[in-house]
Amino acid sequence: MKLIDRYVSEVGKRLLALQGREDIEKELRSTLEDMLEERAEKAGKPADEAMEIELLKEYGSPDEVATTYNPHPYLIGPRLFPIFLKILKLVFFGVTIGLTVVMIIQLATQTPLMGSAVTEIVGGWITKIFSTLVAAFGYIVLTFAILERTVPDLGINKEDFEDKWDPASLAKEPHPDAVKRIDLIFEIVFTFIGLAIINGIFNIPIFSDIFRQFVPWINTVFIIEILLDIYLLRKAVWDTITRIVKIVMETGTIVLAVIMLRTPNLLTVPNEVLENIPDTSSIGVEGFLRISNLSVAIVLIFVIVVASVELIKAGIGLIKSYRRK
Amino acid sequence: MANTESLENVVLELRRGVIVLAALSQLSAEQYGYSLLKQLSDQGLEVDQGTLYPLLRRLEGQGLLESVWKLEEARPRRYYIISAEGKKILPKLKKEWADIVSVMKKMLA
Repeated sequence: MKLIDRYVSEVGKRLLALQGREDIEKELRSTLEDMLEERAEKAGKPADEAMEIELLKEYGSPDEVATTYNPHPYLIGPRLFPIFLKILKLVFFGVTIGLTVVMIIQLATQTPLMGSAVTEIVGGWITKIFSTLVAAFGYIVLTFAILERTVPDLGINKEDFEDKWDPASLAKEPHPDAVKRIDLIFEIVFTFIGLAIINGIFNIPIFSDIFRQFVPWINTVFIIEILLDIYLLRKAVWDTITRIVKIVMETGTIVLAVIMLRTPNLLTVPNEVLENIPDTSSIGVEGFLRISNLSVAIVLIFVIVVASVELIKAGIGLIKSYRRK
Repeated sequence: MANTESLENVVLELRRGVIVLAALSQLSAEQYGYSLLKQLSDQGLEVDQGTLYPLLRRLEGQGLLESVWKLEEARPRRYYIISAEGKKILPKLKKEWADIVSVMKKMLA
């Protein structure tokens, strides 16, 4: 019997307490003892070690036996795989867009734009995308592997995460107040990146103290934007209140952008850049400040245009929805 | 070589679903794992231990079976019996099986 005991504990070592290891061990032992007894009866002699060895050999290696009891042969099972794929795609997409935007900003604010700097920024962008995607993949897999093992079966249906596609939806006119989900997701991603940039997370040392006075206001607008977008994503349609919030927010954005447009020197040229400007440079420090003011103005005018378009769209939507009623 | 392997896989797949029905149908009276295995085998359905025991645990986890430990001849044995929930779905499974058989019979004739 000693071999059976050792065999059972070998199997047990390969099981988790969570799976009911003790119970499985107990059941396995009782089964093996039954089988051994039966063999002894058939052979007409008491069970001996040779019989035990033969039995265990037939029953299979402890590895094999433990595997049959493993309810989770998957790292991420078919139950969670669809939502895993969705989130993975979304995150990869967001990371790539986000880092690309950062690179473009770095290129745009790099004065003077020298070949070596461009190579450095673009090279940095490629390495960053690669390392961030690998890290993001790791974290997402880890999260889902934990979810796979901790979230009970009840409550999570594969169908909940799969779009129930109805061919009839092709024939239907789109709802006049329906939100464009893709636009909202883009907006959320970009607003988050904007928040990160102006709050200094990416360490771009170009914002002056004058600019910093505007940061709380910009943050307020951005956060309202994100909250509104998330709310709209869930509700899927515009209504009067969300349109009014949108109008107020876009108006605020325009006012803020106009005030900033009238404020000079929002950006500074980092000291290390200033030190590197050769005295013989034809542009000089003055020139750099002029270029930085100009690029800020271009960005702000762009913001004003976009916000105005959004404002008008929300206004028209509001009027149309009233007319329909 | 590849052909035998895929044949084995298909056969395995075919049998896997049947074993659940077979086990549920035999557990209107309580049985422990090994006795059920022998009972199935006596009726011509050979099931691997490595398939049956985990399956019984899984069915119990799904609430289709209930189990209780009993001490017999100084040996603890885990007895399984069909649960109320299992009794409810067994007729539906039987009906499903009969439908499959009649369809496949016609199809393969």
